[in-house]
Amino acid sequence: MRDLYPSGFDSFILPFMIGMTFVLCWCGIGAVRVIAELDREDRKKFFLSFLNPKILGKNIRDWFCDCLFHVKLWKRNKLLGYMHSSIAFGWFMIIVIGHIEVFIYTPERIHRMWYPIFFRYFVAVTESTMKGSFFFFLMDFFLLMILSGIILAMVKRVRSRLFGMRRTTRASLTDLIGLYALWSIFPLRLLAEGFTADISGGSFLTKSLNMVLHSFMSDSMNALPVWWAYSIALGVFMCILPFSRYMHIPAEILLIPLRNAGIKLKHEDKGVARAELYSCPSCGVCIDTCPLSAVPANSRDATVYLNRQLKRHNEKRIDQISEKCMLCGKCSVVCPVGVEGDKIRIAHRSRKKYSIAHDYSLIDEGKFIGNMTEKRRVLYFMGCMTALTPAIRKAVTAIMDKAGEDYTIMDGDGGICCGRPMLVAGRKDAAMEMIEKNTKIIKSSGASVLLVNCPICYKIFKENYSLEGIEILHHTEFIDRLVSEGRIAIDRSETKYVYHDPCELGRGCGIYDQPRNVVAAAGTLVEADVNGKESICCGGSIGSLSLGFDKRKALTENALKHLTCGSPDAIVTACPLCKTTFNRYSDRPVADIAEVTAERLI
Amino acid sequence: MNEIVVIIGGGIAGMEAAAQLLKLGHSPIIIEKSDRLGGHVGKWNMLFPDLTPAKKVVDELADSCRDANIFLNTEISSLNRLKDRYNLMLSNGISISTKYILFATGFNMFPAQKKEEYGYGIYDHVVTNADLEHWMNGNADKRMDTSGMKTIGFVHCVGSRDEKARNPQCSKVCCITAIKQAIELKNMYPDAQIYCFYMDLRLFGKKFEDFYTKAQRDHGIHFIRGRVSEVSEAMDGRLVVKAEDTLIGKPLKVSVDLLVLMAGMACNPDSEKIASQIALPIDTDGFLKSSDNIIHITSSAKKGVFYAGACTGPKTVPETLAEARSAALDIHTAIIKER
Repeated sequence: MRDLYPSGFDSFILPFMIGMTFVLCWCGIGAVRVIAELDREDRKKFFLSFLNPKILGKNIRDWFCDCLFHVKLWKRNKLLGYMHSSIAFGWFMIIVIGHIEVFIYTPERIHRMWYPIFFRYFVAVTESTMKGSFFFFLMDFFLLMILSGIILAMVKRVRSRLFGMRRTTRASLTDLIGLYALWSIFPLRLLAEGFTADISGGSFLTKSLNMVLHSFMSDSMNALPVWWAYSIALGVFMCILPFSRYMHIPAEILLIPLRNAGIKLKHEDKGVARAELYSCPSCGVCIDTCPLSAVPANSRDATVYLNRQLKRHNEKRIDQISEKCMLCGKCSVVCPVGVEGDKIRIAHRSRKKYSIAHDYSLIDEGKFIGNMTEKRRVLYFMGCMTALTPAIRKAVTAIMDKAGEDYTIMDGDGGICCGRPMLVAGRKDAAMEMIEKNTKIIKSSGASVLLVNCPICYKIFKENYSLEGIEILHHTEFIDRLVSEGRIAIDRSETKYVYHDPCELGRGCGIYDQPRNVVAAAGTLVEADVNGKESICCGGSIGSLSLGFDKRKALTENALKHLTCGSPDAIVTACPLCKTTFNRYSDRPVADIAEVTAERLI
Repeated sequence: MNEIVVIIGGGIAGMEAAAQLLKLGHSPIIIEKSDRLGGHVGKWNMLFPDLTPAKKVVDELADSCRDANIFLNTEISSLNRLKDRYNLMLSNGISISTKYILFATGFNMFPAQKKEEYGYGIYDHVVTNADLEHWMNGNADKRMDTSGMKTIGFVHCVGSRDEKARNPQCSKVCCITAIKQAIELKNMYPDAQIYCFYMDLRLFGKKFEDFYTKAQRDHGIHFIRGRVSEVSEAMDGRLVVKAEDTLIGKPLKVSVDLLVLMAGMACNPDSEKIASQIALPIDTDGFLKSSDNIIHITSSAKKGVFYAGACTGPKTVPETLAEARSAALDIHTAIIKER
């Protein structure tokens, strides 16, 4: 292989170089900005994480699995996964092999950034470089891989259902420019390399194309306009990249180590929030998955559109979308890059100003402390929702009585809210006051186990309370433990139950197995068509600040439709709010897991 | 030739309409799914505001329609329209062809267990207004602890005007029924303290307001404006009612020995089932939809089909009876016109 042009330069590379320089500067400044926005402690944690081999290993694995192979998309839909990974991985390989080629054949040019990209223009094959045919083959192979991905991408524009997506994101103008630029890059590269394949070498794809082209175009100078077009397509793509969805390509590279370092989203638009915002690929996976999308008009409130409005600084829409969401967290679970739609929304809610400040000074925790004179092993906190569903309270206490548990009820005669409703409303100060008061009561009780049956309370007790030495148990865990320890026994029936995973318990706290064990002990457990991590919110969530009662009916009916597809006799859940909500519209009985257990105690 | 008129439902509306149609020279057929005439009123003890025995009313109505053809324990298997006639297949095997149908299908009691926070079916001493009437009719009820009736609570609007319970309409009769039942219980247990928790008192009918004044002045019944938020059971079995007194703006807690839930009126799904077979429109509240709500309340969208009573929405006894007469007259006019 030898250089064709002593200068190693042609003016057609300029569009590419302009684009490349621009995008590198932009991303470099952006990365510095994100890191600068972290607070001191987080920044230190971030840098130190690179010294930790475990985290570093995870970073490398995630970079490959998420950015290049799109493993999460493969799991969702094979075709969707192939489409993304063929383009991402193929492109990556072309860049890598391009550099290898330059390094091997023209090492003196390695510092020229455009050389690996336009290698085939600047070099000619020589007799001695037949070994290069191995790289020629690889280059053509990966080019073909990318082209197949691009063809699939075109098909997806018209038939997204083939890719497992009912609804896709409506593209914005910059997204469209980026999209067409991206689509044109690789066919143009093929064409350009096809023109020069007789001089610079090529393999099955480029060589064959070269023969076809030469059959009607003998002048190899025709190649130059095509190389220009290829360079322009690259330049346009890079220049539009920061303003389009394709910003996710560089942004995700930064988001992965941030996440692996354990840095939490703290500010609504700085630091991690900014990294997440730019990592959003606008793929629209969150649209179909959002429980709100059961009403088609609501699909504009999916996380992908929140991100778009955030980029546009459309404050009115940002507030609307943030307040409407039920915070079920499903979009965060399915998001292929890990955008935390729920946390971003809560962070935005915290900006809201309230004309009347909260005042809890009247709430006297001393009164509740005074009520608990005797020390018991288990402290049972019912929470507000259980006060409204007394059947659950009765069932939980019946189970404890049967097991001979030593317990007391913390809020049997009134109590203080756990604080979670205020926390999700973005009013952390108010929530913290309640947390403080409850913590005092819990600590003074001397109990070693805090039992809760409401997943909403459970989540905040787990995440925001510091109750060292006290084990916090959800009643599903508690009942499962009682059964496995043989302290209670359940008489199994022939009833077919479906178990609904409450958002705050499943996605929120990762409890999926214990309730299923209990239900399976009481009868036959059937699964909903969407369950576990992707369970659909019942529609009763306390998360939404603006969703009216009438607007929730369709959401509940949709959740019920999915829940009952296995034709169960009854629906079992582990959240008083889900129970109440489903009971309103369900055509079959809905019960809490404690009721099902208490009914069948032997 | 006598014209056959099929009346669906043997409650007070159906009986009164049948009596009037008989007088006008037609042949009404009453189809009743239960084993007796009288419907909800037939299970009641006394009627407001004059404490008229419900039995007297029902007996009188039953007497006046005794010449009608009455099918008890009978349901409608199918209903369809053929030209200007309707064909009904009954569960007893009989089929009827008629030009005129009167829906007097009434309402369903709102299932109080749906408001779980009030503990109906969960706590030992929670009953509904209907349970109380049933008990007053001399039927035993173990929830009624006659020895320790010191404090009694009434919860108004249980499932009425409650969007969350899918029953947004006012049931009209519960305010005055609560007052009536409170007075009755006070007469039985003069030492008991009685509390009525209401959000509004809608006392529109004749003598209703007097009744309310009397309850406060002569019987010392306490009226507290505020909905009950939750009910729990104390260790001694008494019920702890938590509510807010919105007039003084403070939350309050009352321990009671008996809690009476004023379950409202909900639409009857059976009427919808029958009506849908001939495509009669259903209103947004689930009740049957009249042609209009002012001058054609008893008319439906279909020729020959009429409505009377609570099948189109909650109504009092006198309103239902008046509507039954009005519907009978409408049917009579339609028959005359056809001749």
